[in-house]
Amino acid sequence: MTLKLRDVVVRKGAFRLAADFEVAASGVTVVFGPSGSGKSSLLSAIAGLNRLESGSLSLSGRVLEDASTGVRIPAHRRGIGLVFQDARLFPHLTVRGNLDYAEHRRPAARNAPIVVEIARRLEFEDLLDRPVRNLSGGERSRVALARAIVSAPELLLLDEPFAALDGRRRHDFLALLRNLSNEQRLPMVVVTHNIDDAAELANDVIATHDGQVIAYGAAPDVMARAEFASLLDRRDLGARVPASAVAGGSVEGVWVRADSVLLASERPRGISARHVWEGKVYSILQEDARGVLVSLATEAGYILSRITPEALADLQLEQGKQAWAVVKAHAL
Amino acid sequence: MVRVMLTPAELQILSTSLGVAGRAVLFSLPVAIAFAWALSRPRFPGKSVVDTIAHLPLVLPPVLVGYLLLLALGSQSPLGAWLKSSFGIQLAFSAEGAAIATAVMAFPLMVRAIRLSFEATDPGLFEAASVLRAGPWDRFWSMTLPLAWPGVLAGAVTAFAAGLGEFGAVITFASNVEGETQTLPLAINAALNTPGRDDAAFRLALISLTAAIAGLVLAEMLQRWARRRLEA
Repeated sequence: MTLKLRDVVVRKGAFRLAADFEVAASGVTVVFGPSGSGKSSLLSAIAGLNRLESGSLSLSGRVLEDASTGVRIPAHRRGIGLVFQDARLFPHLTVRGNLDYAEHRRPAARNAPIVVEIARRLEFEDLLDRPVRNLSGGERSRVALARAIVSAPELLLLDEPFAALDGRRRHDFLALLRNLSNEQRLPMVVVTHNIDDAAELANDVIATHDGQVIAYGAAPDVMARAEFASLLDRRDLGARVPASAVAGGSVEGVWVRADSVLLASERPRGISARHVWEGKVYSILQEDARGVLVSLATEAGYILSRITPEALADLQLEQGKQAWAVVKAHAL
Repeated sequence: MVRVMLTPAELQILSTSLGVAGRAVLFSLPVAIAFAWALSRPRFPGKSVVDTIAHLPLVLPPVLVGYLLLLALGSQSPLGAWLKSSFGIQLAFSAEGAAIATAVMAFPLMVRAIRLSFEATDPGLFEAASVLRAGPWDRFWSMTLPLAWPGVLAGAVTAFAAGLGEFGAVITFASNVEGETQTLPLAINAALNTPGRDDAAFRLALISLTAAIAGLVLAEMLQRWARRRLEA
């Protein structure tokens, strides 16, 4: 399944978004960018809730909208689901009523888990007969996700689905999302401004900034680029490590912040840290008077570490020199 | 001592009133829903015309409304003549005519209540419905109406209560026929114009007042229910 946007411009109030990209849209594609960079407008446009001002939009070769020819398939015929940040459960229906709403409108040819099964899976089986107004934020998120899954769209868009969750629940929800995407063979496009979520979920990444798509493609490539780093806060700077390198379970990758990586010029012994990667210094960048960013090429990919200029001098690190990156398990 | 029980004549008048007001609500409800829905849309050509038509009965003298109905639907008019020759329906001076006159007068009240209810609905919910494959008609029946339902009901009850008291348009278009078009206000008027029937007028006034208050209280309760329901 290919999602293709050509010279697209979407306008929402004073806000303008330009996008021109093509992604495989298999597995999970993450739309990453700071708040206000146009991520939600992009989802609305793909779902058909926001009219394209110019350009065209197609999914697997099927033209969904083309501003130049006036073709526009309305949202309800696109077969694209959208989980809104604010859940948007129907207040006049119970939890079950909300899921039934989606099930009744699902084309007969499309398969999806039955309502009770998905409710059990997302752990809200006991809420099925409750009115939606009494649900907590996290419960709403799960019901909204379940409703979208029951609808069995061809592509599912999710707008900051973790906004109402924190800590452990967030992590569980994320893993669940990945599993559902695999099991249901349901490609997802997930909007987030959280770098950890992006690294854990993404097969592909679309990076947005100031109403522009600045990079797109496979997660390992895009997340290693300089323009991607420019989207991050100083304390979020780091590198994506594939999940296989840290035995990461059902996630795709892990974001390792430069601040949580120690460097050693000799192989460390007898330490508690769980992850020690050997590599060669790839680049050294003097960030400011307090920090130096050292990039290490390891078998897990590039690892970024922020150390002090004094530490750099003590370790006598230079390009091509062997070094070890050390990360505590809890930092992952 | 004041008799609490209604006399057969009073019962007859009350039942005429309830029947006329009830039919009036039935006639105007679908039209009012359509008008209210149109007026709750952001913008469309001719919106101000629709708005004016919906509010006209509020500013026209009721007698004029009755007269216009007579011109449009009376047996002298082409439409009235056709209805009579084809279906044997005579609207003027009938209970149906009284209901139509009442419906026209209560129309703005109903449109207003329903429109407010439509406008109070979160447009985001319709977007959520459309990405679940609900088309425009589907959304109207599955979202717009059910979400606005308490407001629609409140509008209907308010219009019903107001309809019980409609005088000018009814007497002009449907006249004052005992047992057919003589509603509470018409009966009160008749009693006041007959020497020695002051007591009867007073009793009818009390009945009228009670019905109106009951209607308003019911409408208020429905509005509250509506607000509770719409806050998710």
